[in-house]
Amino acid sequence: MPRRGLERLDLLLLAIEALDLHGSEAMLWSCEQLGLSAAFPDRVALWKSRCRNPLRRASRRGELSSQEQQGLVQLVCSLSQRLYPMLRQLLSSSEPEQLNSQRWELFSSRYRELIQERMNEKRGAIRLLIDSSEGESLRRQVVQTLLFCAGPGGLQRLEASLMDGSR
Amino acid sequence: MTNFSLSGISSFSSAQLKLHFEESSCRLDLTGLPDVSASPSDASDGAPGQRLSILTGWELNLGQRAALQGKLEHLQALVAAVQPYVRHLVSNHPCPQGDPSSPVSLEPRGKGHRLQLRSSQANTEPLDLQLDDAELADLTQCLDQMLQDQRLGISLPLPAPQPLRRREQPRRKGAATGWAAPAAALGALLITAGLASVIPLPERKRPAAQPPAPTTSQR
Repeated sequence: MPRRGLERLDLLLLAIEALDLHGSEAMLWSCEQLGLSAAFPDRVALWKSRCRNPLRRASRRGELSSQEQQGLVQLVCSLSQRLYPMLRQLLSSSEPEQLNSQRWELFSSRYRELIQERMNEKRGAIRLLIDSSEGESLRRQVVQTLLFCAGPGGLQRLEASLMDGSR
Repeated sequence: MTNFSLSGISSFSSAQLKLHFEESSCRLDLTGLPDVSASPSDASDGAPGQRLSILTGWELNLGQRAALQGKLEHLQALVAAVQPYVRHLVSNHPCPQGDPSSPVSLEPRGKGHRLQLRSSQANTEPLDLQLDDAELADLTQCLDQMLQDQRLGISLPLPAPQPLRRREQPRRKGAATGWAAPAAALGALLITAGLASVIPLPERKRPAAQPPAPTTSQR
């Protein structure tokens, strides 16, 4: 997987944590449900895999194994499907505008907090993502990606998207 | 959520099959007949008589906004437009699908997506619909469910999603500014070196000739 794909995959998982307060627990539960216990037997193993993201504050060298890659992609798609109603609300134009802006504010503040806590803020990509104005469209793209990778065909779409630039 | 129902038609010897795929703002209904000539081995799920192999019609309801009906070629065109478009959206690189001559085209418009459906009947204006992300996602989910449903025996040829080529990839924001600091440093170095080469060097003054110092012999 290209470096950019690895970065996106971890940022998608971080967005899931920002959307769901129990996101990290849901990840572990989903790993069991999806039969990914061999790749991620516990939360430390999952954390170690996610730390391959070069944008992390404490990044680990090396590449993900194909089993880990496949597992993380499955995890994102499964959790996106679980959060589909919430993602849909965020991107729907028929929702009350004031209510939706409150939802976005809540998501953005939590996403920024998680990024500041775990990512290297010296990196340009991270600085842009946590920027209150510039990062808005980027955060919307993250939520949009999660929305469209939910569902039966989402896995193939996300897999292909994370390999962008590799051919 | 999908349902499958069987309803008998008195004029046909075989039963009419209906498939429903439903999401919040979208409902897709397929109506058809089983291929009774197919061998039992062709049906991977259930009896061959319960597999919709001949499509007689389909209907797409997009909430209260539109109800569309069509034939197999229209459904193929819809799938061929929506699936690659959404694939590009996942890469944050929306790319228009379908040309003005095709029955279905989809392109980005404003914050949403413009879905155009052209009727095969003459003198009929194309139907122009503006979908937001949520509505497009619902439509995609319905189509995904349909494509993966084992009870559907119709082939809808669709290439597997492929990664974008390097030149197709959207440029990352801030990629240009990432080079700004080293470029500015190099520029400053070159300007300083250029100015330094213009400034004349001070002439070196030769020390005035002095009488040779008397040599003393040491013993």
